[in-house]
Amino acid sequence: MAEQGAGLEGSQPVDLSKHPSGIVPTLQNIVSTVNLDCKLDLKQIALQARNAEYNPKRFAAVIMRIREPKTTALIFASGKMVCTGAKSEQQSKLAARKYARIIQKLGFPAKFKDFKIQNIVGSCDVKFPIRLEGLAYSHGAFSSYEPELFPGLIYRMKQPKIVLLIFVSGKIVITGAKVRDETYTAFENIYPVLTEFRKVQQWYASIASISLYFFIHCLFCSDCLNSLVVDRRGTFGMGSGLFWIVLDGEGFKCV
Amino acid sequence: MDIRSVEFNEESSNRITIHHLNPHGTKPVGVVVMVAALISCVLDFDYGYGSANRFSSPPPHKEPLAPKSQHKLGEPHLSNTMPCWPKCDKKSLITDEYDSTTLFCPACGSVQRVDAFQAETYTREGPQGVNIHFGSTGVGSSLPYKEKKIYEANNLIDDIAYRLSLSAERVAEVKSTVNEVTAGEFGDANSNWFPVLVGACVYVCMRRDNKCFSVAEVGDAVGCDVHELGRMVTRVVRHLGVELPEFDIVGVFERVVGTVANSRGVERETAERMRKQGVFLVQCAVKWFLTTGRRPVPVVVAVVVLVAEVNGVEGVKIEDLARDVHVAASTCRLRYKELLEVIVKVAELVLPWGKDVTLKNAVRNAPFVIRYMEMKSMARGRSGGEKDGVVENGGFNLEEVVSECLRKNVGYMDEEGSMESYDSLYFEMGEKRGVDEIDKLHLSQECLSVVYKKFLENGGARHLGESTKGRGRKRQRGDFELHVTEWWNGKSELSKKLVLKQILEKDVGLDTMPPSFVNGCLANESRKHKINAAKLRIDRIVHPRDADSGGGGGEVCVLDDARAQKRKRKSRVKDLDWEDFVIETLLLHQVKEEEIEKGHYNTLLSLHVFNSAVD
Repeated sequence: MAEQGAGLEGSQPVDLSKHPSGIVPTLQNIVSTVNLDCKLDLKQIALQARNAEYNPKRFAAVIMRIREPKTTALIFASGKMVCTGAKSEQQSKLAARKYARIIQKLGFPAKFKDFKIQNIVGSCDVKFPIRLEGLAYSHGAFSSYEPELFPGLIYRMKQPKIVLLIFVSGKIVITGAKVRDETYTAFENIYPVLTEFRKVQQWYASIASISLYFFIHCLFCSDCLNSLVVDRRGTFGMGSGLFWIVLDGEGFKCV
Repeated sequence: MDIRSVEFNEESSNRITIHHLNPHGTKPVGVVVMVAALISCVLDFDYGYGSANRFSSPPPHKEPLAPKSQHKLGEPHLSNTMPCWPKCDKKSLITDEYDSTTLFCPACGSVQRVDAFQAETYTREGPQGVNIHFGSTGVGSSLPYKEKKIYEANNLIDDIAYRLSLSAERVAEVKSTVNEVTAGEFGDANSNWFPVLVGACVYVCMRRDNKCFSVAEVGDAVGCDVHELGRMVTRVVRHLGVELPEFDIVGVFERVVGTVANSRGVERETAERMRKQGVFLVQCAVKWFLTTGRRPVPVVVAVVVLVAEVNGVEGVKIEDLARDVHVAASTCRLRYKELLEVIVKVAELVLPWGKDVTLKNAVRNAPFVIRYMEMKSMARGRSGGEKDGVVENGGFNLEEVVSECLRKNVGYMDEEGSMESYDSLYFEMGEKRGVDEIDKLHLSQECLSVVYKKFLENGGARHLGESTKGRGRKRQRGDFELHVTEWWNGKSELSKKLVLKQILEKDVGLDTMPPSFVNGCLANESRKHKINAAKLRIDRIVHPRDADSGGGGGEVCVLDDARAQKRKRKSRVKDLDWEDFVIETLLLHQVKEEEIEKGHYNTLLSLHVFNSAVD
């Protein structure tokens, strides 16, 4: 049950030390591979297993599905297997074991070697719109934004080596991780960048109240009392640069 | 021709030897060809005198397979199947008696750049057929396959460039890019991939030079799918290691509006005005997130149609324009609607009769809105930039804008009728907008009442809706309308092409959120309501007595056994859908509401309900 906790982020309070943004990406898909270490007669498998489909003209592997965990496996004649669709690492491993067991029951001497998570896909919503053009411009080395070809901005993060798909609606897809912590780290890395390019509505109308708030907020910070810097994106910074306050729809947030 | 066997030469798998009987005996005569596809061509030879010239230039090198016993040494060998290429096109070429590997034309004397010809093979019985080599494999000279390939590839590039009306410099640039990408090999013009590569190179070259071509346009010229071309563009960009500049939506707009103006015979002045207004609106659309994450060309189409309507240019239809620029008409219609929706929003904010402005009469009100936005954009920028005029004391003078905007109407109004009767309407509207706000504006009430009166005389929203409904674009220029020169002066910086930063700094009186974001928020709200309703239903079941005594008006699906209530329950149950049941299930499994609000039901069900991960 302890292991399961990893997949239960939805029911547990967010650990702010691990997720400073307060947002935990939801894992949507886990892709894993395993070596069954025996040659397989795919035709036999397709004929004997009810949950398998095999069309060698279309794809040279048996496609097998199980309901619990709801996953799909691609089983190749070489004995290699790819398991997709699980929502957690544990589920993926369990599913792979179930497939291996099915293959064993069909009369093949299947083993369970070299199980490995190959890809983890997560998604989350930052709940503010993002100016993709600006992000693409200022992070050109990492970004690819071609609205003619794909509506999202493709951000190739170097460390960790993760690809993020960023959409104007604030939805983020994080892919390419081998362990879930890479997903989380990638999101925490990108979040401050996203806040830079968030859409700020009518901020200029509220500047007086912001200044007041700022003054109150930073009463105890002598460094900040000197100046209020407002950049074009509506990001408010204090003179020392120690504090940054970003205006959002519901109030102000110190980041 | 008596074919005995066709076999692959083991040494060279791309060489095929055809054995056949020659008239003198049973010894095989080898005809070596390069590709299997040419077998049929070889077989068509009428005993060697091939009649089928199936190749484009440079011509194939077919030698007669007939015995050459009549041929005497020392005499020129006539080969009447090959035309002189590329000079005089004479059919007969001859070989030099001493250097039999060279063919030359007896008519013009040009030595043919053909080195595939080989001397006849002699055995003890005399000459035994002819070897013909195609391609670069094999011993000795070969047909310039690569040159032929490059020649045809260049032809293809020229053809695509012609279809896209590219200049000579641009064509040279494209050829250079293709050369770079393929490391000088180019590609088979008849293959599937090479035209796509050429299209991708065209697109990349144009984008690098900030010229305006859409992927759809290039894809249409090349004859391939947009996504296929897009993938190739990505590969080319990665291979070249270049960074493409931002898509020039303004450039595309200018090109499209120019085409429309030319094809419709629009006056130059009007065309220029349309261009400026369009650039203004396109940049507003950028500001309003109408282009972010969307294909830019449908937005361009929507703006072109709108400015055409506003300027009274008839016959500009979304469908036609979408077809011309190779985009889906439905997407263009959607963008057009979104554009009108934003105009309605601005009208609601700034026009005294804004509440009457709807999608149907938005086009008719667009001049006022554009006028307002133009003047607003000329006001001091958010960052305190230089003012373009009109503005005073660092703030936007709404009074001046609106009153100026409306003052124009006075000249078009007749002086008949009493204004007082309409004042009440105006003040009614004023109360709704807030008295303070109106006081701040210091608007000329008389002016406004006159305008509003005229608006009503024209039939108000309903009338306007009907008049534009026909989409015949038959604009009845009534008193209410302004002449374009009076509502548009084109002095705003937004009428010129600006960079994103400058666009965002401009204030046009309205900031909108991206439609996808708004839809996401609405979906979230809807899920919130469903969650609350599900909680109420669960609560009713868990605490039936409380629920009965509470008599709340919430959605309850399980009620008592009274018939009437049963009916009610049935009808309510019908309102429930799969989503409600999923939410109920998740709530019963103690899933946090915030997680359910995200809407990832499958994941949550998998993690919390079908909890199979427990070993």
